[in-house]
Amino acid sequence: MNFLRQLRGELRKLFGRPRSFMGYAVFVVMEALILTVYKFGRGQEYMRDLIERNGYSFATYFSSLSITFMIMTLSMFLLGSVFFALVAGDIVAKETEDGNLRLVMARPVSRLRLLLIKYTSIVIYTFTFVFFVGITGYLMAIAAMGVDGGLFVMEPKMKVFAVFPSWAEGAGRLTIGAVGIAISMITLSSLAFMFSCFKIKPAAATIITLALLFVDMILQNFPFFRPYEEWFVTWRMSCWLFLMENQISWPKIFESYAFLFGLNATLFLIGFTSFRLRDFKT
Amino acid sequence: MLTVTGLHKSFGGKPALHDVSFSVERGEIHGLLGHNGAGKSTTLGIILGMVAPDRGDATIGGISVQRDHAGALRQVGAIFESPAFYEYLSGWENLRILASYSGPFDEKAAREIVDRVGLTKRIGSKVRTYSHGMRQRLALAQALLPEPKVLLLDEPTDGLDPEGIKWFRDFILGLRAERGMTVLFNSHLLAEVEQMCDRVTILREGRLVHEGTLKDLREEAPVYEVDLDPWDQAAAFLELNGAQILSPGRIALPPDADPAITVAALVGNGIRVSAFAPVRRSLEDLYLEITAAR
Repeated sequence: MNFLRQLRGELRKLFGRPRSFMGYAVFVVMEALILTVYKFGRGQEYMRDLIERNGYSFATYFSSLSITFMIMTLSMFLLGSVFFALVAGDIVAKETEDGNLRLVMARPVSRLRLLLIKYTSIVIYTFTFVFFVGITGYLMAIAAMGVDGGLFVMEPKMKVFAVFPSWAEGAGRLTIGAVGIAISMITLSSLAFMFSCFKIKPAAATIITLALLFVDMILQNFPFFRPYEEWFVTWRMSCWLFLMENQISWPKIFESYAFLFGLNATLFLIGFTSFRLRDFKT
Repeated sequence: MLTVTGLHKSFGGKPALHDVSFSVERGEIHGLLGHNGAGKSTTLGIILGMVAPDRGDATIGGISVQRDHAGALRQVGAIFESPAFYEYLSGWENLRILASYSGPFDEKAAREIVDRVGLTKRIGSKVRTYSHGMRQRLALAQALLPEPKVLLLDEPTDGLDPEGIKWFRDFILGLRAERGMTVLFNSHLLAEVEQMCDRVTILREGRLVHEGTLKDLREEAPVYEVDLDPWDQAAAFLELNGAQILSPGRIALPPDADPAITVAALVGNGIRVSAFAPVRRSLEDLYLEITAAR
């Protein structure tokens, strides 16, 4: 009960901060732009070419579901990561810097519990953010293109190709995919969280996290590293795309999520150890 | 009620506390004094479990902070200089959030405390709109919400106007009178400490240089203003008998010396004694003497 009460307070703090909402606003604007390009610009021609070249009907698969999938694939890793790193990078370091943490630590609460509350809150933030992007993207896509249509999935890098002609099946699979993205993005939040527990500025926690993410992403795309791609965190984080296959390969997915779960636990533990050993003094 | 025993702490090899021990009795208001860097904040940090001592322990109500952090801190409310609240939330939301770390939020008790600290009208406003005085009142409210037995005040009156300081002092004295609350008060405002505290602990460069009542401190080396003739002969006689010459016409007698016997001895040695009056020194005088001398 206490944990839930404390978590509620933590979420109130998190969602009370203007910067936590900044990402939501930016994503709505970006979704509107992407939709405009797909509806009126050359994006539609690109999609027609892609769908018809694979032997499917453009009328069936150029739909609100397919556009929502494109929005989430394109935006979440590049733009979403900035906001996850920003919020999780702030969660401990900003309160330490501002001095809020002293008032909290003068209470009968252990450092482990304090960090568990904060970590849980960023996990919740990550989920709500991904679903916000998915739901608003889908609603805007419906407004632009209507409800009907199937889901067309193509991601050459992860070698994923699938089609779902029925709306219900496509919508269900897209929802599962959104859960997968959220779970993947927790790793990014965990990385920023770990740095936030260190004795560094909040901005440094965010920047180091993003730098590591982009280095991982760039190296993964180098031809030389292709044979080792499974060792890259960003490749593992992309495993949510396997959830979009017609025949889901669960062992492949479990392997990647086990890797990410282990990594998250390790990052939390390192962050906790650093936080546990620190002295907090004016 | 609150005991620190043999505290040692170094930061980066630089000693901050060296074998500091003192205790605060139930219902006592205890002043913690010292220069900047004397180790006061480190001591408070150790008592609150925010700083880990290299050696030694702090206990609150008999519970060790190091061994049972939550159990010890359940009895404590703390206020810091310039308390940092969540500026973008209201005073009430801040109270709710901070209180949640101590247990269930008692709304009725919270309203009473808010009323008592005089924040009822502004408790729903965002903290960023509060003055320094209002923030200190909110800090007091959050510290009192878990109904603590011990209050730790870290320079709470810094930056307050004279009315604010008086209000704060009266409030703390009222709390002690009503609830028998134990208070550890760290402040640079020696006049405040003198008016509020029953006993003081003075730290200098991380070492304890005095622990006791102000009366003890005054009696430790009572100072007299004297008019003696001839002065040189009188000074030599006094020094021979263990007195300390602070300046011409100002002396400190050993704690066990009887001034009447000293006067009689001076007269018996042919010295004319025109004046021999005890000086009532303020805490500031005592503090400056003690921190400079040792």
